[in-house]
Amino acid sequence: MNLLDIRNLSIELVNGDKNILAVDKVSLSMKEGEVRGLVGESGSGKSLLAQAIVGVLDDKWHVHADRFHWRGIDLLRLSIAERKALLSRDIAMIFQEPMACLDPTTTIGEQLSEAIDSKSLTGFFWQKQQQQRHSAATKLLHKVGIKNHSVCLKSYPHQLTEALCQRVMIAIALARRPILLIADEPTATMESTNQNQIFRLLSSLNQLKNMSILLISHDLENITHWTKTITVMYSGQFVEAGTTEQIFNKPLHPYTRALVDSNPSANFHLPAKSRLMTLPGSIPILQHLPIGCRLGPRCPRAQQACVKSPTVTNFHGHKVSCHFPLTPMKVSHKVTKRVS
Amino acid sequence: MAELLKVKALTKSYQQKNFWLKKTTITVLEPISFSIQAHKTLALIGETGSGKSTLAKILVGAETATSGSIYLNGQVLQKNSYKQRCQHIRMIFQDSGTTLNPSLTILQLLDEPLKLNTPFNEKKRKEIIRSTLQKVGLLGDHMNFYPHMFSGGQKQRISLARAIILQPQVIILDEALASLDPSLRSQMINLLLDLQQQMGLAYLLISHNLGIIRHFSDDIMVLSQGKVVESGKTLEVMSNPQHKVTQKLLMNQNFQLKPKNK
Repeated sequence: MNLLDIRNLSIELVNGDKNILAVDKVSLSMKEGEVRGLVGESGSGKSLLAQAIVGVLDDKWHVHADRFHWRGIDLLRLSIAERKALLSRDIAMIFQEPMACLDPTTTIGEQLSEAIDSKSLTGFFWQKQQQQRHSAATKLLHKVGIKNHSVCLKSYPHQLTEALCQRVMIAIALARRPILLIADEPTATMESTNQNQIFRLLSSLNQLKNMSILLISHDLENITHWTKTITVMYSGQFVEAGTTEQIFNKPLHPYTRALVDSNPSANFHLPAKSRLMTLPGSIPILQHLPIGCRLGPRCPRAQQACVKSPTVTNFHGHKVSCHFPLTPMKVSHKVTKRVS
Repeated sequence: MAELLKVKALTKSYQQKNFWLKKTTITVLEPISFSIQAHKTLALIGETGSGKSTLAKILVGAETATSGSIYLNGQVLQKNSYKQRCQHIRMIFQDSGTTLNPSLTILQLLDEPLKLNTPFNEKKRKEIIRSTLQKVGLLGDHMNFYPHMFSGGQKQRISLARAIILQPQVIILDEALASLDPSLRSQMINLLLDLQQQMGLAYLLISHNLGIIRHFSDDIMVLSQGKVVESGKTLEVMSNPQHKVTQKLLMNQNFQLKPKNK
């Protein structure tokens, strides 16, 4: 059974008389214990999608979905309060800039013990609950690999490095033992050494605790080592989903192809100082989205049919949303038949 | 080929007053020497606090060096000769969104360096701005726009236009490619490489992304705590790193490259 199953989720920005479709019919499914990467450039709606899953979007945004299942429970049928109770128990989220997300005026210890579920404490409030909270906070810090817990608990966010702050954020997220952790660009402003620390921590949590992780990133190369499956989005539309090897070695969508090719570190066969393959133009802004396939104006394979939104085709679990995918399996089957 | 920019024994240290009469000196840059030729790119890598940005600031004139000298085309660059310096050495910053003045149009932004450094009249200046904008892949009519009307990639192009408008010889890219989206970043790399061929520019590239460095640069210099720990041709250093710091930096990058070889 899928952990999370979302079909055709749309997010609309209500703006006076004109509505803007920021996320257009995106499907996302996650299995238990999976690390899925969600890749998209700025303005692709990946953060919006994550926020819609957690349910923290405000009234300006209207979210519609054909299906929104969480471990077999249809969330669309629940009332808002029930849904929030369920999701806040099972899903946790960490954000891009840990320094900005932690409260600068209180110590790490207070913020951590605030996050601990009071139901997990035993006895009445006069029976050493403070001590229990403190020891729970210490345990959480040990879980994320901070050994020097006494110093860390007493210090303020500005006294710690960025990687340590991100670890604290993860510790806070782990306080309720979530089943799914949504990491929204957890390493965006970090150095590569610190990035690796955080990724290693996340993958060890995945392996030891069987926690599923949705890893959001703008850069394909950063996360390929850590994910099993990847979903690619562009400008609010679903582009491609598949295993990491499929996406990286046999991309079907022209956009994914361009993302992989534009990456100088992935192409070691390219001679230095040669031209990199790019898509012309720039990412469309939200006010002027092209109709149909939003990659259309930039796509090298665009044809007349691209003014209509393409439907998702599934090649053995490798889903692609394009009218003219690069190497469709169907064609290659025909070729092999002719040869034989 | 003659050396375009040559740096000899450049140092930088700050003095910190601790107690009465007791001063401690913090050395940010140990004596450092290197040279860049035209048409070539020198890459600088290192962890934070290794002195990369300080070196860039000294070269561009935003900070003064404690000792040492900088030669441009064989001539010594004086410490206070900003006129000469800002014509020949220009810099592009990391975040183009905040380095462009939001209250000025692109015309005014690009006009400023021309007004201060060239004797041209208004008509000629406008002509230069138009051709420079076209060179970086924008339209001449974009000069009447304000920075907020452009996307992130276009803003970075405007920063590049501001850098090349005085026909400089050296451009310093301080993490200029880090904040761009991947597809725009490769466009920018192509543009920079084209301009290097056309104008014979020398780049000093400061970056964390070793993939870009491998693709872009000819020579590499690894800094650690103000010292050059390793330098040489990029490909040689990357295929056979000698120093621990370089190995560590490369290993971090290799982690991210592995799925290709799996």
